[in-house]
Formats: sequence, C-alpha cells, structure tokens
Amino acid sequence: MTFSIIARCPRTGRFGMGSSTFSIACGRRNESVRSNVGISKSQAFYLRQVDVLALNLLAQGHTPAHILRTLEGRDPDFAYRQFGIIDRDANVVAHTGRSTKPWSGHIVGPGYATYGNVLAGPQTLAGIEAGFLREPEAPLEERLMQALEGGREAGGQASEGKRWPERSAWVRVVDRLDHPEVDLRVDLHEEAVGALRQLMTEFRRYEAYYRQRERDPASAIAEEDFTP
Amino acid sequence: MDYCILGRCTRTGRLGLAVASYSLAIGRYCDGSVRPGTGATFTVGNAHPRNNRLALGLLAQGFAVQAVLESLASNDPHHEWRQVGVLDREGAVQVHTGHRMHATAQRTGEGWAAYGNGLANTSIANAMAATFTEQPSDDLDLRLLAALEAGRAAGGLSGRDGRLPARSAALVSWHLRDFNEIDLRVDLHPDAVAELRRLYDDTKPTLAYYDERGRSPHNAESPIAFAERLRRQQGKETA
Repeated sequence: MTFSIIARCPRTGRFGMGSSTFSIACGRRNESVRSNVGISKSQAFYLRQVDVLALNLLAQGHTPAHILRTLEGRDPDFAYRQFGIIDRDANVVAHTGRSTKPWSGHIVGPGYATYGNVLAGPQTLAGIEAGFLREPEAPLEERLMQALEGGREAGGQASEGKRWPERSAWVRVVDRLDHPEVDLRVDLHEEAVGALRQLMTEFRRYEAYYRQRERDPASAIAEEDFTP
Repeated sequence: MDYCILGRCTRTGRLGLAVASYSLAIGRYCDGSVRPGTGATFTVGNAHPRNNRLALGLLAQGFAVQAVLESLASNDPHHEWRQVGVLDREGAVQVHTGHRMHATAQRTGEGWAAYGNGLANTSIANAMAATFTEQPSDDLDLRLLAALEAGRAAGGLSGRDGRLPARSAALVSWHLRDFNEIDLRVDLHPDAVAELRRLYDDTKPTLAYYDERGRSPHNAESPIAFAERLRRQQGKETA
C-alpha cells in the first residue's frame, strides 16, 4: 500500500518523486532517483535491486519501454510488481501487475506517472494528478507536495472499507549535481503527508541560508542567530 | 552544530554513520556518504555537499585517508570552516576540524571517528567513543545509534545561551548491496535523537520482512497484518 508520483520538470529538466505509504521510512529507498539519469521507483512486492538495475540500464542508453520488457522477461513474479520509470527525454512507463493488492493502478501523463496499490480507488490517483497539475509553474517539489496532498484528500490508502494512515512520506528532487536539491522525509508519523508539508514550509524559511552557508561559511552568521 | 560518528563493523566490514544536528534535515547531506567496500565520510559544521562523493571517489581510486583529506583541503577555500571525517574500508580514519569552528571535539580509533562542533563540552566525543567501542560484536547500526545517544546524554549541543536541541538526526549503513541496509531520518523534531531511537526500534524488525516480501510475494503477509503481529509480539515481550 503506497502511492507515488514520478516526474520531470518540463521547464528545468529536474527529476522529482513524491511518495507516501503505511510502511515506515519510505524515503530510505533513495536508490530510486538518480541525477542526470532518471527515476525508477518500484513498490507493491518490490525488490530494491530492480530499481538499481533499471537505472543502470537507463544510464547505458536503454529506453524505459525496453527496460520494462527486460524486467518482465526476467521476473517470474512480475504480476506482483508495480513501478514507474522516467528518463531524461521524459519518456515514461508504468506497470501495475494483476496480483498487486486492490485497488491498484496507474496513470501516465506527459512527463509524469502516478501509481499506487491498496488505494481507496482510482480517485486517489486522480487526486494526485490534479494536485500535480494545479500549478504547473510552481517548483517541482511544490507540485509533488500538492500531488501527495491531493492523493490524501481523495481517500489515500484503503482496503475492505477501512482507511489506512500515511505513516511515512518523502519528496526528493534532483538536478545536475550528484546530491539532491531537495530531499525531505517524514519517516514515522500518524499523519505523514501533513507533517511533510509542515517540514517543507519550515525548511523553505532556512533553505537560502543553508545554501549560502554551504558556499561561503566565512560570511555566514551562526544558525542560532538566524531568524527565519 | 552537530555531532557525528563514522563506524566500521570489524566482523562484517559493514560501514555507516550517525549524526545529530541543530540544523533541519541533516540527513539530506548523507547522500553518497557511505559506499560499501570503499569507506564512509561526512562533513559537518558547514556542510559541503560535494565532499562526500569526492572523498569516496578518491578512496575508491586508491588514495589513503590522509591524502583524501589533503585533496579536500586544496579543493575547498573554506576547508577551515568545516569538520570532515574520512574512514576507509580497512578501518583507517582521520578527522579534520577546521580552526574556524567553535566548541569542537574529535576522537578516532581503528574503524571509527567521533566528532562534533557547537558542543556543550569536550567530553562528548569521548562519551560517543566509549559507547561505540563498548560492545564491538553488536550490530553496527545499534552501536552507531547508542553512540549518538551517549553524545546527547553527555550534554549534546550548546549555543551562546546554553543548551540547544538536536532538531534533526540520521542513521545510515551499507553492507554488500548496491543500496543502503538502513537509512533513517528525523528531519525536524524537538528531540531528534530520542525520536530516531523510536523510529529505529519500530523499523529494524520490519526490514527483513520487506526484503522477503519482494522475494516471495506469493502468500506474503500483508503490511497491516505484519504490523499487527509485530505489535502483539512486542507487547508480549514488554509485558
């Protein structure tokens, strides 16, 4: 039970991912987003090695469509997997195996894909997509955050008529550098998407200060003296 | 204002680090800080996100930790405003504490380094070191976390007007695989080290479950049922 969105910003070329789930610390899966290569994020009955393999294949020049076929041909449990892959040209594929737990599915749009399993229904993905498309000019991390909020508002995760909480949430955006531009996580919280929004709001007040301090610590003031 | 420990498990060669900071989301800087079979590094005080990959890249090329630190120094005009630890896969380790940093401490031994800045007192690195080396056969993740807790218990961070909280913390380790074994973060919390412990205790028993679930999805227990079973087991243990 998880819902995710992967995207490439059409203005800046940055890659980003937003994800939320009942499981703890979804953001530990940071092998899924690679600067200057793309994103491969698997979920449902996932194998972490698969995201690494998919990104290695992307880096070698294969297309997401080819990689999907490669994975399918080698995995006897492909029906249990769910994943999305996006590359630098914004080619996108998504796969939702028929043995993933209901409701499960995906939406692929221009430069993005959203997918999930054990969701309240297709409305969760529609909410994610609407959130992502609401402010196309906004920074990618903000669009991903609104996507997660849209998924939560639309019903989030549920099975047998019972709603399951989002206990972890994660937004990660990479640009040309090796290290992420934005990487914020809530690993365990009773309302992780709301807590991630709070974190993002608070972090934004510090963000310019942190960047400045990284580049020029000699002229930076002490953090305890910084009033956001 | 941070305190940090790099560690290598002598039994398994597993590498990792734990860090606590007054800054928000210190864990975002852990990206690329540990590479299996190569080493571990972390820059605190004033973060320098390029240092991680550069340091581990140099280690991977065959440079010794001393040479790596010299390279980082000549690569960074603000090296004296940073505190950097480098640990290699055989346990060789060095820490650079820039002379522009305040209230610093550092301790190193074979296979580990404890260091920090903006500290309440200089015994914090000693406390972290003593805890880390106490039970060398324990799980590395647990040793790193316990060292962080010892740093907090010994006084933690301090500013001009007294004690400051660690508002974020992280625990990372890698072993043989192309992805981390554990990677936990508390990005904003009034007592981030205590929250990291709560997170660790809840997470550690689930990691093997998620790996197994991917390997054998047929008839795998659902995450809800697993969480419920775990809760009952843990209730029994504490009862």
